[in-house]
Amino acid sequence: PAADPAVISPQDPTLLIGSSLVATCTVSPDFPLKAEDLYWTLNGRRLPAASYATLGPSTLSVALAHLNGSRQQSGDNLVCHSRDGGILAGSCLYVGLPPEKPVNITCWSKNMKDLTCKWAPGTEGETFLHTNYTLKYKRRWYGQDNTCQEYHTAGTYSCHIPKDLALFTPYEIWVEASNRLGVAVSDVVMLDILDVVTTDPPSDVHVSRVGDLEDQLSVRWSSPPALKDFLFQAKYQIQYRVEDSSEWKVVDDVGNQTSCRLAGLRPGTVYFVQVRCNPFSIYGSKKAGIWSDWSNPTAASTPRSERAAGGCDPKGGEQNTTLRRELKQFFGWVKKHAYGCSNLGIKLYDQWRVWLQKSHKTRNQVGKEP
Amino acid sequence: MAAADSPSAALRRDLCSRGIRLAGKMRADVVDLLDAYVEQQGLDASASVAAVEGVPLAAVERWDEQTGTQRLLENLVAYRAFRALLAQMLEEQREQLGEAEAGLGRALAAVLLQVSAFVYHLEELLRLESRGVPGEEGDGPPPPPRLSLFEQKLRGLGVLRELAQWAVRSVRDLRQLAKPSPATGAATGLAESP
Repeated sequence: PAADPAVISPQDPTLLIGSSLVATCTVSPDFPLKAEDLYWTLNGRRLPAASYATLGPSTLSVALAHLNGSRQQSGDNLVCHSRDGGILAGSCLYVGLPPEKPVNITCWSKNMKDLTCKWAPGTEGETFLHTNYTLKYKRRWYGQDNTCQEYHTAGTYSCHIPKDLALFTPYEIWVEASNRLGVAVSDVVMLDILDVVTTDPPSDVHVSRVGDLEDQLSVRWSSPPALKDFLFQAKYQIQYRVEDSSEWKVVDDVGNQTSCRLAGLRPGTVYFVQVRCNPFSIYGSKKAGIWSDWSNPTAASTPRSERAAGGCDPKGGEQNTTLRRELKQFFGWVKKHAYGCSNLGIKLYDQWRVWLQKSHKTRNQVGKEP
Repeated sequence: MAAADSPSAALRRDLCSRGIRLAGKMRADVVDLLDAYVEQQGLDASASVAAVEGVPLAAVERWDEQTGTQRLLENLVAYRAFRALLAQMLEEQREQLGEAEAGLGRALAAVLLQVSAFVYHLEELLRLESRGVPGEEGDGPPPPPRLSLFEQKLRGLGVLRELAQWAVRSVRDLRQLAKPSPATGAATGLAESP
């Protein structure tokens, strides 16, 4: 094979940010080029002649000081050229930082079948070098180290363990970061799969009107399929917003029912509703799990009667919302502190409002009372 | 005229037209890949790179004097070489950068797949003409010594540039092959003079 026209030394070095480097380009004896026929470029930019030094008839050096982090992870291209621009030799410089300890490892298990973990790179973040992350895990008191294989399943810094996980035993989980300049290992996280369980969002979410009631909507849904295995119960949360708002309101005391009535809503308004669930009482444990994703938004609109269109109390809706919220808080307090009043609840208030609106309509049909 | 409708002529036309479409798509994908490659490697897209050992050159003198068989055989040798070179590039990419540049890795793998498919097309065309498909075992010189990282970058640039040129040449070769002969109505014979 033909000789290389020139050789650069060092070849493909790895350096810390801020380092200095002296590289040499030596032309092969087979090529009729002298040191004065050469010049250097770094990432395509010509380096100033002031940084060159002639070390021999066919050897030219260049001094690079205070190197910045590599422009690309494949390395900075330091190239020795002949006068006419031809490439004689090149060397890839890898300038960066060693990795920081990965942090914030969080994990979750979908229906106790698998485990997904995510983490963040260390506080400095950018190392300018390709950094490899390996998630490892083992059973705490016995067992060998295992390495996670399926990366980037929930973002760049994540890994998925699909099977062969044991329940009722704690695991140790950690992340190793490595690049050309070193290795860093995260703190070890200990967890039991049962403590980090999540499930699918509720399905078949239906939102419908409650008769002619202008300020209420009924929400119904189905529990996640995993519940059918009786592995755990679930509690639910609802969030809803008006169509043209980005502010969600959360109803977080839905309990384990699969239906709920939203009240205090604006008449004649389109609402988007979502539901999510949290598995708890897993094998009888009192610990809550991890909230599922929200279900896809479901839309419905409250009715608007003619009477409401030019309502005589334009702020009635707001007052109702505030009043209802206060009442809810009151009933919550009653439940805790007043034994024997367990039947009092916001549902009873809702039923009273339904009765009230019906009785208002009846009075209006008959004629106003004196 | 009957010869123009013969099953083998129809099959040749079909293989050629599919091959032409594949070569056209390959060229478009290689051009996109080249853009991504030079950015990732920090290279100048217009850098002049000496011919790299083992990379088949698309440039050919007296193309019009070649027979159809010669063109097919040269295509076959070239794309088999590209198949090996792209596989090596993919391996080097994964060694150096892991899955960090997954987009580029996927694009490389996609082009490799297209090149493999094109090799199959060429082999089918040669079989159709009962020319026999040259074997691959023991073909070619021994693998070159491992290149330095910078040399790998330059070789990759050379590979993709020449592959883009070959895709253009292959479209022309196949169009020539698919042309019916004016005398017999059959597609231009592979053994006949061009």
